[in-house]
Amino acid sequence: MYTKEELFLAISTVIDPEVGFNLVEMGLIYDASCDDEGNAYVKMTLSTKACPMHQLIQQWVKEAVKKMAGIKEVTIDLVWEPEWNITMADEHVKKALNRA
Amino acid sequence: MFSISQDFAPPFKLISPYFIAGSIFYFLSVLFLFSFSVENISVLDQKTLSFVHLFLLGFVMMTIFGAMAQLVPVVLEVGHFGVELFYAIWPLLAVGTMLMVLGFYSYPMLLPFGGVVVLIAMMIFVMEIFLTIKKVKKLNLVMSSMLSANIFLFFGIIFGLVMALGYAGMIDININSLLRSHVFLVIVGYITVTIMGLSVVLLPMFGLSHGFSMKPLERALKIVSLAVLLVVLSSFIEFKPLEYTGYILASVGLFIYFYFIKIIYKTRARKEIDIYAKSLIFSYFSLIASLILGLMYLVVGYEPLLLTSAWMMFFGFFSFIITGHIYKIIPFLVWFERFSPLVGKQKVPMLADMLPKKSSSAQFLFCAVGTVIIAIAILLQNDIFIKAGASFLLMGALAFVRNVFYMINYK
Repeated sequence: MYTKEELFLAISTVIDPEVGFNLVEMGLIYDASCDDEGNAYVKMTLSTKACPMHQLIQQWVKEAVKKMAGIKEVTIDLVWEPEWNITMADEHVKKALNRA
Repeated sequence: MFSISQDFAPPFKLISPYFIAGSIFYFLSVLFLFSFSVENISVLDQKTLSFVHLFLLGFVMMTIFGAMAQLVPVVLEVGHFGVELFYAIWPLLAVGTMLMVLGFYSYPMLLPFGGVVVLIAMMIFVMEIFLTIKKVKKLNLVMSSMLSANIFLFFGIIFGLVMALGYAGMIDININSLLRSHVFLVIVGYITVTIMGLSVVLLPMFGLSHGFSMKPLERALKIVSLAVLLVVLSSFIEFKPLEYTGYILASVGLFIYFYFIKIIYKTRARKEIDIYAKSLIFSYFSLIASLILGLMYLVVGYEPLLLTSAWMMFFGFFSFIITGHIYKIIPFLVWFERFSPLVGKQKVPMLADMLPKKSSSAQFLFCAVGTVIIAIAILLQNDIFIKAGASFLLMGALAFVRNVFYMINYK
């Protein structure tokens, strides 16, 4: 129903309020897919296991995908392997964070 | 799917009184400094004891307890046993602190009453933490450090109460020998071990550090905990080498901890030196200064070295690590409460937007200058420098109280 890129685009509206970047450019979204019945699946991680906003962030991702026409169900798979690190983020994010 | 805590953000109204009370006690501690002169600064002076309890119970413990209400589920990955108990802890701690401060200052009869009220507050806290830890299936390094820290606190406050009864003349005990156990159990065993354990969660989270080894922290925690046990043992077995081994081991453990923090700092992805980073840098260098001065005291035996070491530990290390984290924790809690429901519906601020930038910089600068001036004043035994340093700290403390209210009331 939707391609991975289209789902990523929808999720890119979700911003981490601590760092100010969206989850896709942070490299926190590993995979996304959607079948013909409108069941979406998002594989993602967080920058730390101890993130106090982990529930909220997952909820925002769900809501961002559900806003897409025809989506019925969104399943979030929160994984810790591979562990996130800054090399997974987009170049402009790395540059911005690297600025002292 | 990996499951973690279901209760990461207790209601803000439960936590905010801790930060408000903590900042006010910090301000009162700074005001107290104006009453000091070099003649009455000594380890066992009643005024010094009054000041130390005002600062450590009123500011350090109050703020740590408030922060723990939020951080315990984050660290332990389970919900609180009874988070509502935190509604009772801060008023008891505030009243108990004031009674103890007055007791040490001029009314010794108030000490047992203050001591008992503080004991009740801390027992509620410690028991809540123990019962929460009981829900954890497998303890990791951070969880184990939290467990040890709270065991140290449990015994530290019992020693403290016994001493309070002794000060009030109700029982006959050797206060001096219990004093070092009380000091080590609470300051090193609880406050320092708690900071050490939490730093491995908080520093990498805010600095986005990855790929560092936990081994140095593990070693540091074991060495510091052993040091606490040795010093406590030395209160009961009068054997000087035992006591001194404890002091040396504590220093070694804290140097290793500093090395670990340096690795986290080096591996961080977020290079911005904001108020959080500045506060932590000052804090950790104060820790090193405190350790060096403390070791010098062990060699030379000159009391102002010990007092300056304690000053740098309290107003340098503890104060700045706490104020730095306050600038992260309060905006998060306020944002979570007020703005998270609005995400996707309207533009919401970033956490960094909720900081009073100029005022927090002013707080940092005034407090840092004041802390260093007073350290020099204690070393040189100079009254004018004490007043000068206290004046800088007063400006910083005012800015700090203002910043806490600014962040709490951010709309």
